[in-house]
Amino acid sequence: MQGLLKRRKVTLGLWVLVLLIGGLLVWATQHNAGLYSDPIMQVTRVQKGQTTKDEDDFHNVDYQTKQKLYGHILNGKYRGQKLTVTNTYSLSGAMDQRYRKGSQLFIVVHQHQHGQLTATAKDAKRDTALVFMLWLVVGLLLLIMQFSGFMAFLSVALNGVLFLMAIILNGSTQGARVLWIFGSLAVVFAALTLWLVIGANRQMLITLATTLGGTALSIIVALLVFHFTHEKGMYYESMQYVTQLPRPLFLAETLLGSLGAVMDESTDIISSLFALKRERPELSATQVFKSGRQIGSTIMGPLINVLFFIFVADTFPMAMLYLKNGNSWGYTFSMNMSMGVVQSLISGIGIVLAVPLASYLASRFMEKKVRA
Amino acid sequence: MSTINVLGLILLILMVLVGGKAGLQSFLALLLNFGLLFLAIVLVAFHFPPLPVTLVVGVLVLALTIFMSSGDDMSSTVAFLASAVVLVILVLLIVPVEHWALVQGFGPEDSEDLEGLSVLVGINFVQVTTATAILSTLGAIAEAAMAIAAGLSEILEQHPKVSTRALLGDGIAVGKQIIGTTFNTLFFGFFGGFLALFIWFTGVHYSFGEILNDKIFVSEILMILFAMVSVILTVPITTWVMTRAVAGQRKRAAKQMSKK
Repeated sequence: MQGLLKRRKVTLGLWVLVLLIGGLLVWATQHNAGLYSDPIMQVTRVQKGQTTKDEDDFHNVDYQTKQKLYGHILNGKYRGQKLTVTNTYSLSGAMDQRYRKGSQLFIVVHQHQHGQLTATAKDAKRDTALVFMLWLVVGLLLLIMQFSGFMAFLSVALNGVLFLMAIILNGSTQGARVLWIFGSLAVVFAALTLWLVIGANRQMLITLATTLGGTALSIIVALLVFHFTHEKGMYYESMQYVTQLPRPLFLAETLLGSLGAVMDESTDIISSLFALKRERPELSATQVFKSGRQIGSTIMGPLINVLFFIFVADTFPMAMLYLKNGNSWGYTFSMNMSMGVVQSLISGIGIVLAVPLASYLASRFMEKKVRA
Repeated sequence: MSTINVLGLILLILMVLVGGKAGLQSFLALLLNFGLLFLAIVLVAFHFPPLPVTLVVGVLVLALTIFMSSGDDMSSTVAFLASAVVLVILVLLIVPVEHWALVQGFGPEDSEDLEGLSVLVGINFVQVTTATAILSTLGAIAEAAMAIAAGLSEILEQHPKVSTRALLGDGIAVGKQIIGTTFNTLFFGFFGGFLALFIWFTGVHYSFGEILNDKIFVSEILMILFAMVSVILTVPITTWVMTRAVAGQRKRAAKQMSKK
């Protein structure tokens, strides 16, 4: 009982610590202007100016408003100097920013004459919101999940570092080997994550084999379909932010996207099957296979959905803009959503194929008697 | 036939082969979800307010996903109620954070795609981006809620007399098992989607500070973090709804016993 009480106290102490550190970090990012080389302005007063009505060729009505921002510079050689910046924002605000009292923004200082500064607004400072959300996630994880939460966070952080290294490697090869780099990265990702989640044992090896097999199969099926349909209706030119050959990049994106979901699914199926075998060692391989298929068929649908919403919901703003610019539904779909849908379908195929694969490998290679 | 149709057909066949009727239903749910998402975009383009549209579409998507891919009534009802609660909490979190972070609409990296398009369309993009963030987490909420509810109803089946207090602990235990892998689904799903953007950042040599304040980057990372928060919150909330449901069921059962 005393031990339990003591552990409670330690957890409470840890939680208070996380809260304090997080609050401090958020406060620090609010006041970290000194770390930036670009000048940052703090707005202390805003004066609203004229509003003008705009109408474009498609009869979309919008309102643009001028505002005068009074404030001072927080960093660099102009630190402490007062200045006024004019800014224009629209009602829709797709490409512009409305600043308020207390906003911090990056500015470009133009000239420095008679002690008077002129500058234009460049972009808002956003790191505080980012740090706040990051802290919220870590805090909630530690509060609700404790140690497992920490492990989950660790595996995501490690994968993030690996991901960054792969991107730098890809940059240094001018993107010529993007598929190879991210393909081998996928293997490392999967092995590392499963080792952290399951530990180094037979169950982990079976899960790893399923994950890699399912993902590889989905890419093979996709390539075959691409070959036979001559990639009809695939609009590589609609992909966003592309700076290198789009086709291998698209495949690498799809590969990474489906890897996580296939890993999630095979972990679920195989750990349930191991638990089942532990409880009822008399089950035959065929029975194990059947239960695996049953477990898998209930979770595959929701998992495909997870990826579908990640891949396709992201296109909302651009698709809406296309519609408002007088494009047809079909063209809007092709130019914005079709690539995301293809990605979801390929990942979906991987997710479905992993079900029989996981059940088969588990039923075949599980030890006759699973140790408790 | 176009590539999308062939891939869709293959997915349909595989889902029916592996899952039978449940597979067919899941495929239909996927199709309907796509329809709902497209409907939401069209409605917003017709100047319907983005947030109410998103909430209604969100609840419909959750209902479709949960009720069409699992059979057990009690656990799907619990999963649906819990995910709806999570959705509401998430909206309360996303709306102020999106206002604060100023990540609405498009960034300088989008200018090539925006060529020839008018961006002054009179629809508030803060709300559109908020709607996008909410919609992109829907799948994750539904999946996590279903997994927890299914795990708990299995425990209930094996130990029908488990106390509601113990059930609360069991829920967290089930959550601990799924959280690691669910996070990875989110991580890979989102990072797979943004691979091109990250390659852009390294190719154009953005400084660390520029990336941390970049509109598109912050917007995308916030989306991952919202999804993670929603999955974490789903664990205690689903467990809580389950204990309420079980307590209610037991009360009713006790009443019937005393009547007899």
